[in-house]
Amino acid sequence: MVNLFQLIKTLPTLGLSLIIGTGSLVAQEIGDYEPREAWDGNPDINGIWQAIGTAHWDLEDHEASAGLPEMGAIGSVPPGPGVVVGGEIPYQDWALEKKQENWAGRPTADPETKCYLPGVPRATYLPYPFQILQGTDKIMVVYGFAEANRTIHMNVENPESPPLDTWMGRSYGNWDGNTLVVEAQGFLGEAWFDRAGNFASNALRVTERYTPISPDALLYEATIEDPTVFTRPWQIRMPLYRRLEPNARVVEYKCVEFSEEILYGHLMKKEDE
Amino acid sequence: MKCRTKIKEICPTVAKFFSSILSFLVCAIPLMANAAAPHHITIALSNISEAISWYEEHLDCEVIAGRDDTVACGNAEIEFFLGRTVGGSQGTGVDRIGFSVPNLDAKMAELESVGVRGSGVRLVRFDDGSLVREIPGLYKTAFITDPWGTKIELVQDEDLFGFHHIQLNSVDPGEALNWYAQVFGGERASLKGVLDGVVFDGVWLLASEYTDGRPGITQGRTIDHIGFEVDSFEETSTQMSSVGAEFRGEPAVPDNGRSSTRQAFILGPDGVTISVVEPGWEGIEVELVAAASESTELYVVPKTPWGEPDLQGIWTADAAHGIPLQRGIDVAGTDELTPEEAAARRERGTLNSIWGYDREWRDTTLGYVTSAPSTQVAMVVDPPNGQLPETTAAYKELVANAAPRIPPQRARTPVDLGTYVRCITRGPVGMMMPSIYNNGLQILQSPGNVAIQKEMIHETRVISTEYREGFGEGLKTWLGDSHGRWEGDTLVVEVRNLNGRTSYLGSSEDMKLTQRFTRTGPDTLQYEFTVEDPAVWTEPWTGMFNFIKDDNQIELVEYACHEGNYGMTNTLSAARTIDAREAEETEYQE
Repeated sequence: MVNLFQLIKTLPTLGLSLIIGTGSLVAQEIGDYEPREAWDGNPDINGIWQAIGTAHWDLEDHEASAGLPEMGAIGSVPPGPGVVVGGEIPYQDWALEKKQENWAGRPTADPETKCYLPGVPRATYLPYPFQILQGTDKIMVVYGFAEANRTIHMNVENPESPPLDTWMGRSYGNWDGNTLVVEAQGFLGEAWFDRAGNFASNALRVTERYTPISPDALLYEATIEDPTVFTRPWQIRMPLYRRLEPNARVVEYKCVEFSEEILYGHLMKKEDE
Repeated sequence: MKCRTKIKEICPTVAKFFSSILSFLVCAIPLMANAAAPHHITIALSNISEAISWYEEHLDCEVIAGRDDTVACGNAEIEFFLGRTVGGSQGTGVDRIGFSVPNLDAKMAELESVGVRGSGVRLVRFDDGSLVREIPGLYKTAFITDPWGTKIELVQDEDLFGFHHIQLNSVDPGEALNWYAQVFGGERASLKGVLDGVVFDGVWLLASEYTDGRPGITQGRTIDHIGFEVDSFEETSTQMSSVGAEFRGEPAVPDNGRSSTRQAFILGPDGVTISVVEPGWEGIEVELVAAASESTELYVVPKTPWGEPDLQGIWTADAAHGIPLQRGIDVAGTDELTPEEAAARRERGTLNSIWGYDREWRDTTLGYVTSAPSTQVAMVVDPPNGQLPETTAAYKELVANAAPRIPPQRARTPVDLGTYVRCITRGPVGMMMPSIYNNGLQILQSPGNVAIQKEMIHETRVISTEYREGFGEGLKTWLGDSHGRWEGDTLVVEVRNLNGRTSYLGSSEDMKLTQRFTRTGPDTLQYEFTVEDPAVWTEPWTGMFNFIKDDNQIELVEYACHEGNYGMTNTLSAARTIDAREAEETEYQE
């Protein structure tokens, strides 16, 4: 079994070489911005961040489309360019069929509709703010939706594989220059990547890179690996923007009560019965 | 001002007859000029020499030769002792002390440049972000806190520089001030015609109305007590009996007293401990004394690399599971259980909690628990009898008229099963309480923030100790908006904007919750919670228990409650089956 720590070190190089022709784009975006330092000399990325765009609807390029008719334009899906490097998610044939099944079953089949934990990397680009807290030996990321959160164990030598599969996985991280590299695995395989039904199995491993590119923006890159679902690893990339309001906070978004009709409606005794 | 006129001023509505009796009683005893005066403020903290340097440097106090635990600040002394506190002075019977400086704007600029890290100065800003505010007709004022939680008001009052006033919190300020005037012979007067108070030879005793229930008692907080010097204990004793007060124990020369002068203590109004000393008091020779507990060494809370008290780690409430909220009748006399009784109680507590589960599937039998069960008798520490306060008449009526609870097997919708079973929340109070398993608590800090995560049911709050503005009235949440501040080494969290949709023992949407986290040892985190809900209880009440550090855990288990809520599906389908069966039987009978 490959030592995870070694894997973390080699992945960034692997990732870059797979981005055909876009290596210079990355360099352009990062530039030579020198971020403010946290207590340990590493970049200070504490704060409230949020993704902008339509990745949470669909990671790939997508046209505008209809939602539930009673919600009219409010419920419709906005158009947007994808965030997948290279354009398409490289599904295996059986998996592409499964994705199309998911698509047909949305929104009811979408775990987000049921207020289930969003998993990684979906939690990052949900359209809500999240908070990064750099502690002394761990970093915590707190998302407002469904009270999702992750604890990133920093600088662990020989990290053990997670003993259980979970919705949010287990994350280990370290700093590679100005980039926070996070390796996450141990997923249940039940989360989707977006509202379009893109998914992976419990063999999923995600490697994220958070790089400050300006005082108020990070470049977020996530490499998705699941040899049982995809033909090769693939990457998404987008900026994360700092919420600048004074006193900005992540507001608790407990959505369970809004999912109960969908989940238990068939078991409820209505008043008129 | 003549004594009788003073009495009339104090008791304007009292009948002439009664007031003349009162004046006879009080004024017949000649009130000596300057019979007593505020003499010292006693502050509990973890590093005396650091405190002395701080007060010397920032408030121009002076070291006193031969007394390495006290500074002289013009009109009063500040005495320090080594003690563990559970919070700063704010909100106790003695809210703050005041100092007057010649140029307040310059002083605040100077303090601002010191910064807050380490032994710095914590500035308090007004809502508009400014540091100094002018009170019309009075003086300029500003607020700071010392690193140990003492709230200090700085004013610019040309009439008196140096130590300027003691500010009390009181449920009845007028009455409290009268009490001090009667006992210590100060003059009831008005500071610059604006603030009601008692003046003792230039130094003022002022009082603010405390509207959040009862102020905290001073003992155990940063300003542990205030001291008065009196000419004669006998005379003061007589003055005290006229207000029904008495010394706790006989005035005596304390062990290790530096001089042969006597000291005695009084419990004054609003939970203020008052020390009374004779002229010539030189304090007590300091030894390392812990504020409470069997340990002889004072634990100093480590700091994070950025200078805040470090509460980080994985803690567990396992040891506290089984402590009842209220003191039971069977333990009326004792303050602590024996270890054997504690173990037996936790065993009963876990067995009673299981109901549907296999008896063997719990943290204690699976060997996860490494901490000894708590010997604490009950969680409620205030009221001191360990019982919740009396409920209001309105609440009693609500309970009497409440619809009967729906048993789980008749649940119509998830709402009938409660927010815990629905995996929504255990509520702001319930969230922290021990349970039979998944008792983990993770605390992680970043500069200005404390994240508190409870394993059951993975609720996380991020508490900022820096932002000022809270949510408006239109934004209320299940766990509320938490406002944090450091008082010395204690994290104080005020939870507001609760949506009130989850109730703790009947609490309403107006409940206010204040939490205090103090690391009292390397492995112990003391957690205190004060619940205030005038719709339900006639007074606020406070509970307390300890979390124990568990370094065997590296993270909390993901408690994906809602995602795995098979219990909900099973319970509701069982209820529908019962409904169907009943419908069948009815049909059959018809």
